[in-house]
Amino acid sequence: MPEDTIPNGFVQNSVIAGSNNPPNTAAKKKRNLPGTPGKLYPEAEVIALSPKTLMATNRFLCEICGKGFQRDQNLQLHRRGHNLPWKLKQRTSKEVRKRVYVCPEKTCVHHHPSRALGDLTGIKKHFCRKHGEKKWKCEKCSKRYAVQSDWKAHSKTCGTREYKCDCGTVFSRRDSFITHRAFCDALAEETARVNAASSMNSLANGSISYHFMGTPLGPSVAQHFSSIFKPIPGGGADETIDQTRQGLSLWMAPGSQGHETVGSNLTEIQQLGSVSSEAMYGDHPPPSDYHFNWVFGNNKQSSNNAAEAPAIVSASLPFTDVKEAAATASHHHQLVSVNVPSLYSSQQQQTTTHQTQAAAAAANMSATALLQKAAQIGSASTDPSLFLGSLGFKCSSNINQVQDGNKYCGLMYCSNAITDRHLGNDVEISSASDISSLSQLQMPPPAKRRHLQSDRQAESAGGQTRDFLGVGVQAISCHPSSINGWI
Amino acid sequence: MDITLFSPKGTHSHHFFSLSNQQLQQSNGDQIALDMQTNNNNNIQPQNSCHTSTSRSSDSGEPCADTTGGNKWASKLLKECARAISDKDSSKIHHLLWMLNELASPYGDCDQKLASYFLQALFCKATESGQRCYKTLTSVAEKSHSFDSARKLILKFQEVSPWTTFGHVASNGAILEALDGETKLHIIDMSNTLCTQWPTLLEALATRNDETPHLKLTVVVTVSLVRLVMKEIGQRMEKFARLMGVPFEFKVITGLNRLVELTKETLGVKEDEAVAVNCIGALRRVAVEERGAVIQMFQSLKPKVVTIVEEEADLTSSRYDFVKCFEECLRFYTLYFEMLEESFVPTSNERLMLERECSRDIVRVLACDDDNNSSNNGNGDREEEECERRERGSQWAEKLKEAAFSPVGFSDDVVDDVKALLKRYRAGWGLVLPQGDDNTSGIYLTWKEEPVVWASAWKP
Repeated sequence: MPEDTIPNGFVQNSVIAGSNNPPNTAAKKKRNLPGTPGKLYPEAEVIALSPKTLMATNRFLCEICGKGFQRDQNLQLHRRGHNLPWKLKQRTSKEVRKRVYVCPEKTCVHHHPSRALGDLTGIKKHFCRKHGEKKWKCEKCSKRYAVQSDWKAHSKTCGTREYKCDCGTVFSRRDSFITHRAFCDALAEETARVNAASSMNSLANGSISYHFMGTPLGPSVAQHFSSIFKPIPGGGADETIDQTRQGLSLWMAPGSQGHETVGSNLTEIQQLGSVSSEAMYGDHPPPSDYHFNWVFGNNKQSSNNAAEAPAIVSASLPFTDVKEAAATASHHHQLVSVNVPSLYSSQQQQTTTHQTQAAAAAANMSATALLQKAAQIGSASTDPSLFLGSLGFKCSSNINQVQDGNKYCGLMYCSNAITDRHLGNDVEISSASDISSLSQLQMPPPAKRRHLQSDRQAESAGGQTRDFLGVGVQAISCHPSSINGWI
Repeated sequence: MDITLFSPKGTHSHHFFSLSNQQLQQSNGDQIALDMQTNNNNNIQPQNSCHTSTSRSSDSGEPCADTTGGNKWASKLLKECARAISDKDSSKIHHLLWMLNELASPYGDCDQKLASYFLQALFCKATESGQRCYKTLTSVAEKSHSFDSARKLILKFQEVSPWTTFGHVASNGAILEALDGETKLHIIDMSNTLCTQWPTLLEALATRNDETPHLKLTVVVTVSLVRLVMKEIGQRMEKFARLMGVPFEFKVITGLNRLVELTKETLGVKEDEAVAVNCIGALRRVAVEERGAVIQMFQSLKPKVVTIVEEEADLTSSRYDFVKCFEECLRFYTLYFEMLEESFVPTSNERLMLERECSRDIVRVLACDDDNNSSNNGNGDREEEECERRERGSQWAEKLKEAAFSPVGFSDDVVDDVKALLKRYRAGWGLVLPQGDDNTSGIYLTWKEEPVVWASAWKP
């Protein structure tokens, strides 16, 4: 293996990237990730520079006088001045082989040759950004950067952006925008409007709720918050929204369309839901993000959509405990009105009004929706009485069985949980998700029902607050994939 | 008589001032010989006169007003009057009160406003009607007080001046750093800023890279005005926290009147919670003799951090010396009023409301004797914490150190944040960091080089 010798200060490790096995296989798997030179440059020379060398400014040294230069071109120019004999004037290698660089940081993904980056400047910037000290600081907002060019780019735009509240006020300062937003009447109105909308529209799209269930929104959601307060420059908003829309496309109307379609096609969503339910679990749609962009001044959004969206989102879970549905409904309201996190707030308070809403809403479901839901529920061991109750067939007794989400979380997510709790019920979770089994569920013997209910009560004593997503301590530990035949 | 003043500060002011006063004496022989001492440390006088002279001539038709000298006629007269009251010189008191009454106006320039509000306090002091006056002022304020008005007022104030946001940014920074990594946070909030501090903290919690912790916010209210609006504020906070995705719990404690009565139980502090105590403008309302006890009470809550923000003035150590107290009070409020005048637009209603709030505080400090107060209310039931006797940062620091708290310096990041904050406002604001190595308590917000607000963080 030919190795290039470069004078001084270089720690070099030449490896032909293409000849290694791992790079090839790795390259095949991670096609779209940055820094996968294997396929593109199979003959590339992998160079591993030490951090010191990487950050050194004058890497190119003249062998004659030892002067250092930032760029190779500059060095060559300088060398001409030495009046070298023709032979030595030539560059040391005949052709320049493509070089790829690995990150010196051992824990870094790009440390491995298969993930080397092809651009020296690129690897320098990467090293700085990820592993370097953030020496550059924006004066206006004190945000820190490791790479000077990043800092410069930020400084140009910092303070020039504007933040627009729902109420129409525009702010140039982010902190005053945030404080204003917290106290703004627009916030209160949004919730009120959503509440009203959802009570009319919660067609309880079961598929949608499924999607929610599978997704532990917790941590990922929080990370998207920065986008809430992102100002809305023309293109930027679109980008963020597009990203979220991709995630949402599973459950929202076709993502490629604009926001306007969000609210429009419930049936479409239902169909989408049933088809894509399998794929759902892999995703982490941050619907909250999406909603936030609405509220935070995405001017394309009309208030109609905001009202409609809740319709979709506030899909209560009619086949679960009414309380769950209630919580769902209430949390959905909040979700849509730009509240992410029904994940956390206690829902116990919100039971009564929403229960009636949810129950009433459920009763409005079309036959199609009912069938669809039934198909999806399959032979899941929901308490059939509750399911019916939420469908409007029988409300009162079950409404009072307000239980903690444990059981339902179990019902919805974890097959093991279900079997644990199901008390010898002959209804098992099987892959058969047909209506006939559902009809069996519909008329449980009263004894069993009572039994279930009492058990539930016992469980609620241990009660964990469960939000509509069922995301909480327990949910996160449940693997969606463990629900066999559920979906 | 025109006083051309354009020198910004410092020694020049002396020069100009004395010039103008000479002219004054020459032209108005029958004027009361005003004390020519320019002993005010206030370097900003000349600047203000630029403002005041123009507005005065339009506001007041009195020839007297124009000729009472450019700077600080109010200050002079008021101090004279205070001295007279202290000396119990009746005729002089009457005369000065009369003069002040002629010249004062709450709608005029700074001097006129100061004259007006301090006149009220002096009058109450002279007639021993301070307590009654204070009660009247408070009830009037309560009637016109609503969530909307309070919100508008404080948000506007924060928009034009970093007076309160300075403390917020510093405290939030200290709290976030002290509670970093904790999953259950409990903040005990005793502030006079109506929870405007918390949205930015909530946002910061939400945008952290790691898990968003659960936040419990317990607000302790001792001011009746605030009590009225707390419910609405709480709802907004809850909604906003949901918006942010921060698990949030909000609680208000209004039952008790005195901070010293708080306990871990009444606050609902749980064992697994990381506690932060946040005190903005609250300690000064505690009765002077109870302050040590209140700080001890903080210790009993076992907090990870205690953030204290107070305005920089000493109205406590001089509380038995009327004149000294008066002068300090005047100095502080002069700064404050001038700051308000320069920060708001001239026609601002919000500024008027803030000034009126000051008038109550001024009456309270100067005309309501603490001793008399408790004895007058036969049942010994002091209604609220309303003392309003500020202390300087160094004094608070001493008390805190006595209670075994040690100061926590603000990190570079927080200081940078504060600096960035100040940059967003008009010129005139500055930041003073503790010099010296002994980790001296706190940082100061300065207005035209004068320290006005002190912010600090402490750990047990």
